[in-house]
Amino acid sequence: MFLWTVPVAGCGGVQSALDPAGGDAWDLYRLTIVMTVGATLIFVFVTALLLYAVFAPPERRAWLGTRRTIVYGGLAFPIVVLSLLLPYGLVVMRDTDVPQPGALQIEVTGEQYWWRVRYPAEGDQAEFSTANELIVPIGRPITVSVTAADVIHSFWIPNLGGKIDMIPGRINRFNFTAERPGLYRGICAEFCGAQHARMAFDVMVLEPTEFEVWRQSQAQPAQEPAIPHLARGRDLFRAGGCGSCHMVRGTEANGQFGPDLTHVGSRRTIGAGQFPNNVGTLAGWIANVQQIKPGAKMPSYGSLTGEDLRAMAGYLESLK
Amino acid sequence: MTGRRTAQVCLTLGGLIAWAIQFTIIYGVTSTLCGRGWADTALLGMGAVQITILLATLTALAAAAILLIVSLRQERQQRDHPASATDTFLNESGVLINGLSLVVILWHGVPAVILPACA
Repeated sequence: MFLWTVPVAGCGGVQSALDPAGGDAWDLYRLTIVMTVGATLIFVFVTALLLYAVFAPPERRAWLGTRRTIVYGGLAFPIVVLSLLLPYGLVVMRDTDVPQPGALQIEVTGEQYWWRVRYPAEGDQAEFSTANELIVPIGRPITVSVTAADVIHSFWIPNLGGKIDMIPGRINRFNFTAERPGLYRGICAEFCGAQHARMAFDVMVLEPTEFEVWRQSQAQPAQEPAIPHLARGRDLFRAGGCGSCHMVRGTEANGQFGPDLTHVGSRRTIGAGQFPNNVGTLAGWIANVQQIKPGAKMPSYGSLTGEDLRAMAGYLESLK
Repeated sequence: MTGRRTAQVCLTLGGLIAWAIQFTIIYGVTSTLCGRGWADTALLGMGAVQITILLATLTALAAAAILLIVSLRQERQQRDHPASATDTFLNESGVLINGLSLVVILWHGVPAVILPACA
């Protein structure tokens, strides 16, 4: 029983290609099962033949060395199997990831070690940027245009489809439709540097009405701090020069280098999917980012007093 | 190596050479046309990538098929007239290699029929 739990432990959950949540992911899942089951059967059969060849009496195993066995078993059989699998795999490749008319356009840029996400303007809806999260409506085709700012990354949401490379100077497109609401996890699937393993993002699949509410709220500028403690945090954010790297729409913070923080408080996680988003983790991140994620472009602000840190983290957390 | 033996070795390896040329043309032309944005250029009603793959595949298939037929003839002649161990090895290898090359050349052409250019 224990041994069985090991291979099936990764079969479900928010980051599993074995728990598909969309049509394209289902096609890939079926392909994987066919390939895996087929390869297992052939492996077991060949291993049995091997053992037979080693241990059976010479007169009984002689047929294994005949020309007919080699031609049919060693040539014809693999050619037939591969000739069937090749078009099957190609047809799945062709039929998944097909651009659909009316798809929601999203642009994602991979950077060391986070995800810049932009929702372009659509109809009356203004454009806006966010980071490390992809919020999509259920049932509507999605086209994600991906590229990279520094090195090659790879965009992969295992529950929703195959992976696609993010290459500097090139735009690749990934198409999918989410068919089950819920939370999923995307990851970088191409080694991109020391913090590659800490480069993830949340994917929330919402009902269309919930998605529209979210999209409209994200397009709004940041709210003014409601209480003096938060206003103090905003002033510290301003005085510390954070706005030269980060944007908070509606304020003078207009940096483009780091993640847009206009609605950072509404995100589920911080640090590209590393920690739950709350005042404590935000304060820890600001003070110790180089200890938590060495090599990230943001320096640690460990010299802030505890009071200042709480105020600044509180301000960021209030940016819903 | 004598001229006869050279021809025999060329016949044995001919299928592999046809496959290598097809492989180089397919990858080289596809990468160049897709990279330059010329993949949609139509020739004879087909995309430039597809027609290149089709022509390269048909030519390589024809070459491998001819080589296979010649190899089979030689192998059959050898049955009637016992040959040296080297001749036997080269003739039987030729049948095997040219036959397999035929299959692999076909496999390399299949994606052009199923997938869009530059997929």
